[in-house]
Amino acid sequence: MEKMKMMLVDDEERFLSTTKKLLLKKGYDVLTAVSGSEALEKLRTHNIHVVILDVKMPGMDGIETLKAIKKLFPMVEVIMLTGHATAESAVQGLKSGATDYLMKPTDVNDLIEKAEEAFDKRQRLEEKIRVAQTRSFMKSPRQIIRDTE
Amino acid sequence: MFLFLGVRAMKEHRYAGLRRSILGSMILVPLVPFILILGIGYYYFTTSIQTSTIASMKRIVGDHRQMIESFLTERKANLEYILYSYSFDELAEPQKLYDIFCQLQKESNAFLDLGLFNEEGIHVNYQGPYKLAGRDYGKEDWFKEVMKEGHYISDIFLGYRRIPHFVIATKREEAGRKWIIRATIDTYMFNDLVKKVRIGRTGEAYILNKDGVFQTERRSGGNLMEIDPEKVRYPSSQSGIINFIHKDERGETYCYTTTWLKDKDWLLVVRQEKADAFKAFRSAAYLIILISLIGGGVIIGLAFYMTDRIIRRMKRIDIEKEQLGDQLIRASRLAEIGEMATGIAHEINNPLQIMNSEHGLIEVLLSDLKEHGDLKESEDLKELEDSIDQIKIQIGRCSKITHAVLKFGRQSDVVSTDIDLGGFIPEVIGLVENKASVEGITVKQDISEDTPLIQGDPGQLQQVLINLFNNAIDAIVERHGSEGGELVIASHIGEDGKVEISVKDNGGGISPDNLKKVFQPFFTTKPVGKGTGLGLSVCYGIIDHMGGIMEVSSQKGVGTTFFIRLPVAT
Repeated sequence: MEKMKMMLVDDEERFLSTTKKLLLKKGYDVLTAVSGSEALEKLRTHNIHVVILDVKMPGMDGIETLKAIKKLFPMVEVIMLTGHATAESAVQGLKSGATDYLMKPTDVNDLIEKAEEAFDKRQRLEEKIRVAQTRSFMKSPRQIIRDTE
Repeated sequence: MFLFLGVRAMKEHRYAGLRRSILGSMILVPLVPFILILGIGYYYFTTSIQTSTIASMKRIVGDHRQMIESFLTERKANLEYILYSYSFDELAEPQKLYDIFCQLQKESNAFLDLGLFNEEGIHVNYQGPYKLAGRDYGKEDWFKEVMKEGHYISDIFLGYRRIPHFVIATKREEAGRKWIIRATIDTYMFNDLVKKVRIGRTGEAYILNKDGVFQTERRSGGNLMEIDPEKVRYPSSQSGIINFIHKDERGETYCYTTTWLKDKDWLLVVRQEKADAFKAFRSAAYLIILISLIGGGVIIGLAFYMTDRIIRRMKRIDIEKEQLGDQLIRASRLAEIGEMATGIAHEINNPLQIMNSEHGLIEVLLSDLKEHGDLKESEDLKELEDSIDQIKIQIGRCSKITHAVLKFGRQSDVVSTDIDLGGFIPEVIGLVENKASVEGITVKQDISEDTPLIQGDPGQLQQVLINLFNNAIDAIVERHGSEGGELVIASHIGEDGKVEISVKDNGGGISPDNLKKVFQPFFTTKPVGKGTGLGLSVCYGIIDHMGGIMEVSSQKGVGTTFFIRLPVAT
């Protein structure tokens, strides 16, 4: 089974470093990014499964980043981290393709729990894709040749 | 403070200016036409009185002139009749003359005597009270004149008889002979006639000869034969009826109307004191002065009264405007504070997040250290762990506060869902129960089991209920202090098929006057700065938006009940 790789995106560097240390202690593979653009950059170079994304950031904000991620890397699961108690930003995030949302201040255990859920979801999705692909192999070998082309 | 006083002084100054201009126009606008009307009325009234007074004086003069003239003409005609009806010899006969005289006296008892003169001026025959026969009048002026002119009328004189009389003489010429018949005429006839004229209090009439000698008595002084003391420049010639005004030596102003008689150089004068003639002027003037004083007084009084009212009204409106402005400022400031609080809460969440992460890390590190045996179990370690747990708890508290603030601050997103009042109302009561119990208020719930679901935004309904609860608690505390309060919250399905929620308190109640205004924005009975006056109006708006009705009934000294009627969820 593949190991979950997470990325934390927030403009608070201390939050990133501490949470990273904590997650590393708990045995997770973690990357961090202080801005939306850095996050997109890292997604291009690393195979990341789950992104924990702060909604409110200077420059490219959370929702924008989310949209960009979903456009460029549709398979990446995104969990929004919102400081606002209103469902507003959360709803907006979910509508834009986020898997789930977390309220600040959030407990690291909650964070891990949600991330695991998201990862499971992704695993299931990948599984489905694999099954579907396998089916198509069996149906028509030509299809495979065309796909590989 | 100085600035405040300055503003107030400026306002007072503005009111004073405004007051002056309103007062000025309110006095001038009615006063000018009022005085104009009185003036024009007075002018036309006096002109018409003057015209009619003068006309009546002229008429009297004219009438009397005619009467006197006809009297003189008649007497002259009497004599001429005798002169031409009888010969000289007949007239010279005493018995015959006596008969004629008797006849004449029958005609007019003004005849005092009758005499016949020959051309030498010898009094040939005489009938009358005196023995004048035989006297020679040849040198007399009147005789000369009658011989020359043919007839003569004398001025009035007293003569031997000491009674006013005048003579008329007429000449006849026949066959080279000339003779004259002369009669003395008592003037009492036209003296009376003239004296009888009486106009107003001082109006009188008299006759002057061409030398200004009285020919009749004047009532206001002036005996027969005296010279008129007034140096009146009477009109000279036959200039018809003349009217003029003259001041006499005593300083009285008279209005004169005069005319010359036709046959004789006598001037008929009618005069009246001007003040008397134009007495109506004066009464009109007094009346007009009285009316202007009263009318002017009323106008000025009314102007003052109205101006005062207007200014008072304006002041009140200004004050209300100011209060409204203050309330708006307070309301907007409150909204600003709310927004700020939300922003702060939001920002605080970020440091809380870091603290939370740090705490998590500390916990992990600590347990690692313990696992590796780097830390020994001790009292201090337990204290440390307890302290770290405390940090976790306090972070939780902070986050609860920030979330509550954020929840309160959120305005948008009305989420309409089905609400079960059976669960919802106790929940909301739970929020104020603590506050109520502190104030010694018993909160009773009477939620009927068959209360159906309603539709609406739970947050908004909660806001409405909390507002009502808080108002009720305030009212109860104001009346009872911290003991004896009772708050009853009930809900059931009403007769009209709507869900009715009632919030009943036993506070001081609302006066009927205020009861009408409770839902008006900015209406508050709380002291300045305490209430925005927006609570109930917002509640009303929310309930209205939910398709419901909000009502209130209250009795002073008993309590107040608010009713919310909402449609059942479909």
